[in-house]
Amino acid sequence: MRFLAILSLVLPLAAQHGRYLNDSQNPAIGNSAAIAAGAKLYATSCAACHGPDGSGGRGPNLVRRPLWHPLSDDDIFRTIRNGVPGADMPPTKLPDDQTWNLVAFIHSLIGPASENKVPGNPEAGERIFRGSNAGCANCHAIRGRGGRMGPDLTDIGSRPLALIKDSILKRSKDLYLLGNEGVTVLLNNGQTIEGVARNRSNYSLQVLDLKGNLHLISMRDVRELTISERSLMPGDYAQRLSKQDLEDLLAYLARQSVRPPETAPEKEKN
Amino acid sequence: MRRAGLLTCLVCACAGAQVRYEDIRKGPGADWLTYAGNYQGWRYSPLTQITAENAGSLAPQWVYHVPNAKGLRTSPIVYKGVMYVTNSNAVYAIDAASGRLIWQYLDPRAKKQGVNRGAAILGDRVYFTTSDNYLVALDRQTGGVIFSKQFADANLGITSTSAPLIARDKVIVGSAGGDSGMRGFVAALSAETGEEIWRTYTVPAKGEPGAESWGEFIEWGGGGTWLSGTFDPELNTLYWTTGNPWPDFTGTPRKGDNLFTCSLLALDLDTGKWKWHFQFTPHDTHDWDAQSWPVLIDMEFRGKMRKVVLHANRNGFFYALDRTTGEFLRATKLIDNVTWASGIDDKGRPISLPGKDPTPEGNWVCPSVKGATNWMGQTYHPGTGLLYVITLEQCGMYTSSSKKPEPMKNFGGGGATEEGGQVILRAIDPKTAKRVWEYPMTGFGRMWTGTVSTAGGVVFTGDDDGHLVALDAMTGEHLWHFNMGELLTASPITYEANGKQYVAIASATAVFSFGLFEPASRTQSTKITIRK
Repeated sequence: MRFLAILSLVLPLAAQHGRYLNDSQNPAIGNSAAIAAGAKLYATSCAACHGPDGSGGRGPNLVRRPLWHPLSDDDIFRTIRNGVPGADMPPTKLPDDQTWNLVAFIHSLIGPASENKVPGNPEAGERIFRGSNAGCANCHAIRGRGGRMGPDLTDIGSRPLALIKDSILKRSKDLYLLGNEGVTVLLNNGQTIEGVARNRSNYSLQVLDLKGNLHLISMRDVRELTISERSLMPGDYAQRLSKQDLEDLLAYLARQSVRPPETAPEKEKN
Repeated sequence: MRRAGLLTCLVCACAGAQVRYEDIRKGPGADWLTYAGNYQGWRYSPLTQITAENAGSLAPQWVYHVPNAKGLRTSPIVYKGVMYVTNSNAVYAIDAASGRLIWQYLDPRAKKQGVNRGAAILGDRVYFTTSDNYLVALDRQTGGVIFSKQFADANLGITSTSAPLIARDKVIVGSAGGDSGMRGFVAALSAETGEEIWRTYTVPAKGEPGAESWGEFIEWGGGGTWLSGTFDPELNTLYWTTGNPWPDFTGTPRKGDNLFTCSLLALDLDTGKWKWHFQFTPHDTHDWDAQSWPVLIDMEFRGKMRKVVLHANRNGFFYALDRTTGEFLRATKLIDNVTWASGIDDKGRPISLPGKDPTPEGNWVCPSVKGATNWMGQTYHPGTGLLYVITLEQCGMYTSSSKKPEPMKNFGGGGATEEGGQVILRAIDPKTAKRVWEYPMTGFGRMWTGTVSTAGGVVFTGDDDGHLVALDAMTGEHLWHFNMGELLTASPITYEANGKQYVAIASATAVFSFGLFEPASRTQSTKITIRK
């Protein structure tokens, strides 16, 4: 029950994912040269605490945080400039333009992976996605190819790269798995249905079975419902995939978008 | 009964059923597979559980609040117990018996926001268009994307609002944006891949036939196709309406009839080629798009059976044309207050009265800019033989602007007021064009909701005060109403799930579903266990 209550909160937030409270008018934002310069600064000055892709470490995860607390570019600028008093984040003396380059890079990290430069080989990544070792395509479809039990990944590149990585490596923490509980349903007539509950309440149950067919069920007709506590997503990808495999897989997933890629568009300023 | 229905449904689901063209062609039964119910545009259902006798005991069954919705225009479609509703750049699949969400598809990166009139379904796919003109095909059971393909450039002032129409293996889409200048078209896209098969423009290019009926700005002439059309499978013909010429309220830069705006087009499904056209309002200056449903019926006219297309038009007249040839058969007044024309001549051309164009000071003309009716669905009931049309008796002050027209800047060449007025549901006998009964409504003269009729002898409509209303199809007597608490801006449908008939309608912000009242029964809780 609680899972689904959370689900309804998460979905609207997911929709705003990577959205800013407000974009700065500073020309560095969205400018590919500024982002590249910011990436260099980030790698040497920030990555040690915040992780190379912003996924956190000693310092907070910069990508997941705006899910709950939308950021503004100006706030990021001020935080870099002033630090966080009382915490480990020190103030900096970077000049304005370099600080803005850094803000531009962080902004891009929070934005859609499909619009950022991502390391790795996407063709090799597709082979991993469709291959038997990772087996992603058994459950996930991209443009209609693949399984139907797991969330569709055709537009997965609309999410930040660090979150896609998180979803692969830390399945139980992935907020997007809610609404995808594994269930076994025993009906009063003796029939058993196994699959994923897309939604459920005390009165009705909507199950996608292992063949990917939908069942709309009244709970009056259910004798017993067994819910898997863990997500159906395997939890061992950190061991199953080499570092290179993971990088390639991420490169492939980052490309998946229902929209044509907008590769670091130069913003029009007026 | 109900339980048996459920189990049957489970078996169907496992069989991986698919919607075939023949299923859509058959028209509604338990399912409602296309915007207007059937290809003829009838919005009529053969379901009989709800009747004129028992409609008084209808009760709400569920409500689904569509996130971020305002002024929903969506007409739901239903297949195998799942309802698909749309909002701007969004589709929601809802359990049609419980109102619970099954999946949602959101495209937050769409470049525009705007109204959306609904989805279409074929095979295992649900289709809809985004406001920036992508046709999106989704797996009907999971919401997974099969393809998302752009068919028009939003930077040319074109947006997409209509529900796609599936005809055989094609998805027919239209174009909106005619009030700000654009070039309207109808296009057929492959249901399989989204690739364009043909595209027919509604306003000619310079030098093409019809271009002589324009002056300046022909390339921004409008003629939007923002409502889906109807289809005659035997004639293999699509019937599609076109919108106003641009700029809406100033005719001076576009002297002539402005072909093929404010018209009905008959197009070959395979090629998109013109079979015939009929222009209702030549050189329109009152924004009377021809958008309302071309209803296809076969009826006797002057002693001879004819394949007819009926059209209740915004300009205040009710037309009957031969749908094979486009021959004008008859036009009568749809509403009482028509001041711009004294009638329609025997060729089908309005007999315009002088001095009725918009002026800088303002000119009082009836009907108002919304027209005598509009895009909301009418319903034709083959049992009563009547057509039920929402009409509006309203006038308005039309003004023109002398500013130089600029496309894509929200410039309409003037404006219009809508003052007072009354919405009236009218039951019309298409054979005689006579009114059989009327249902006048209280309200502010807004008129944005449509109708559905059933073999149970009931007509459902929304009134002008936000009530869903059930009327006796024969007499127009009130049977039941429900206060939805907000303005209704969409058309109702009816369907069956688990053996129960429902009537559903989108209000401004939510989808409601109604059925006959049944007392709840005591049930034991299901045993739920958590597997570690």
